[in-house]
Amino acid sequence: MNDAATLVKSAPVQSTPRRRLDFFAIAVRFQSVIGLILVAIGGVIFSPRRHGSILFLAPDNIANIVRAISETGIIAVGMTFVIITAGIDLSVGALLSLCSVLTATIMTTWGWGLVPTLLFVMTCGALFGCTQGAISTRFRLEAFIVTLAGLQVARGLALVISNNQYINISYGNGPGLAPPIFSVLGDRLFDNTVPVATLVFLVVAIVATFVLNFTRFGRYVFAVGGNERAARLSGVPVTLVKISVYAITGLVSAIAGIVHAGQFNFGSANDGTGYELTAIAAVVIGGTSLFGGSGSMIGTIAGAIMLGALANILQLNNINAALQLLATGAIIVVAAVLQSLVRRREGLGR
Amino acid sequence: MRCVSGKARFWSNLVLGAGTATLVAGAAQAAPLVKECSKTGEFVIGFSQANNAEPYRQHVNDQLTAAAKKVPQFKLQIADGAGNVNTQTSQMDNFITQKVDLILISPFEAAPLTPVVARAMKAGIPVIELDRKTVGEPGKEYTAFIGGDNFKIAEEAGKYVADKLLPQGGEVAVLQGLPSSTPAVERLNGFKSGVKDNPKVQVVAEQAADWLPDKAQTAFAAMLQAHPNIKAVYASNDMMAAGARLAAKGAGKLDQVKILGTDGLPGPAGGIRAVAEGEWAATFTYPTGGPEAIDMAKSILLDCAEKVQTVVTVPTTAITPDNAKQLMQN
Repeated sequence: MNDAATLVKSAPVQSTPRRRLDFFAIAVRFQSVIGLILVAIGGVIFSPRRHGSILFLAPDNIANIVRAISETGIIAVGMTFVIITAGIDLSVGALLSLCSVLTATIMTTWGWGLVPTLLFVMTCGALFGCTQGAISTRFRLEAFIVTLAGLQVARGLALVISNNQYINISYGNGPGLAPPIFSVLGDRLFDNTVPVATLVFLVVAIVATFVLNFTRFGRYVFAVGGNERAARLSGVPVTLVKISVYAITGLVSAIAGIVHAGQFNFGSANDGTGYELTAIAAVVIGGTSLFGGSGSMIGTIAGAIMLGALANILQLNNINAALQLLATGAIIVVAAVLQSLVRRREGLGR
Repeated sequence: MRCVSGKARFWSNLVLGAGTATLVAGAAQAAPLVKECSKTGEFVIGFSQANNAEPYRQHVNDQLTAAAKKVPQFKLQIADGAGNVNTQTSQMDNFITQKVDLILISPFEAAPLTPVVARAMKAGIPVIELDRKTVGEPGKEYTAFIGGDNFKIAEEAGKYVADKLLPQGGEVAVLQGLPSSTPAVERLNGFKSGVKDNPKVQVVAEQAADWLPDKAQTAFAAMLQAHPNIKAVYASNDMMAAGARLAAKGAGKLDQVKILGTDGLPGPAGGIRAVAEGEWAATFTYPTGGPEAIDMAKSILLDCAEKVQTVVTVPTTAITPDNAKQLMQN
């Protein structure tokens, strides 16, 4: 530990000068957990029942919810890093589809084994993110613009590589066939209950929580988002941190793309559309400020699960998708307004 | 019209002087659809595709290209409208500037592309609309429309469920496409109309999954929770059927739930293979109209047709375990 690190450690405190025991602020900090509890209570109340049991709480149904959010959840976890640095990454959904296409193509057409394929695709994803971060910092461009371009590039590459087709993955041993073990991503373990895709989400979430909360890099991320200038003056390698967070979103998008390919047995250039918005929604609902400097991984994870649970309860009642959009929109607004109120009370404006 | 012109000629021959006016009028009406048509020469056909970035659209392009290749006089140019009416309009304008001999178009949206189609017609270029229409009267505002009938295709799927799959009746579910698109609405209504054949068949759940496999999997998993006795699911496209199968597998109900798709795309990820391998009960092709469009172009450009059928509805093919294997080999 050196002086810089000590300084950085105090950075989040700097950004919230008049911190006191404020139940409102604490509630907002954990708004997504509270929101998740509220949605769960609503889910139980409005759940269809069968033979007296509540369908919403059926283990099968819980498994369905957590499976459905695993891909956007993985992405949201990475997105949290970027948004804490006051950045944004719009390329994640397109990158997911590019990586699903790559995975399928490499395993079926190129005939690579499982491990080289996964390493290669994850490297590609991380490098893609790295490039976006480097362009954004080197040329001082808004991440919004750079990653918007990245979205187009990734989608374009996916279309070129896949020739606008779904790249089917067949399993077996031999040329043109993927290793059967890869299909495990679409399965459920422990007596058909725990979706493997969700386990991947869980692992990514645990690693990310550790990195954000218990490493120097995590403190740097908060410092860069809280006050970039102060961070730079106190010796934080700001440019490197910024590039790294985009590398992280690139990497998690690749992981989500691999999970997508494994779950659906194909790679497609058309999937993942709008995932970036779902992921950003989960992060914002999770209490991470779009202005950077504060946020929590637990919040993001709860936010992602809440969105999934909300969709599920509406679907269980056969309510149409329009209402789902309305409800999600309302929740995002409420989450953002609450955060804004807290910031104002803390004298930060905006 | 050919008949009218024949009559005109007959009368003009009979009443030489007085008949001339009739002949002129008749001939004007009976003129070929294009100024220059012949069995020989080279004809450029421009195809303005709504959007290249979908497997179905690629399938249309493939079928059109294959059909055009069989006619040595034809040269096909495909322009990608990229799902954007503005892009598509400028590509249509380019075709008009290039003076292509005939235009095929799948308009991304109806109203915004109506003016540019009118411009092409005014410039003397016949326009055949594929799969989607612009606003206006076929035969006047555009030359002809060729496409499938979404309602009828889904209705046939519904009848198949009512008569063949579930004669004893049972609960069924529908996965709808993007609700704001007309095919999604037509396919939903068509299916519901088809299953009415059998009053014992009951549509217990319908959800929009926006044509996407991942959304379909999530939605159908919830449907199976809420209605554990669902015996069949109609997916409004093949990819949602693939998603529905994963949900049924997750719920351990692969044996119980019959899955139906729509589009019947070829290729390893398409519906034909899924039916051939017993993964789904059936899928219903949404015809591209590609071969029919090239046939019509032939009669306009090579045979100097004076009139063509203005609305051509291409029927669906039901792909069932009976014919899927054979279709796979084609």
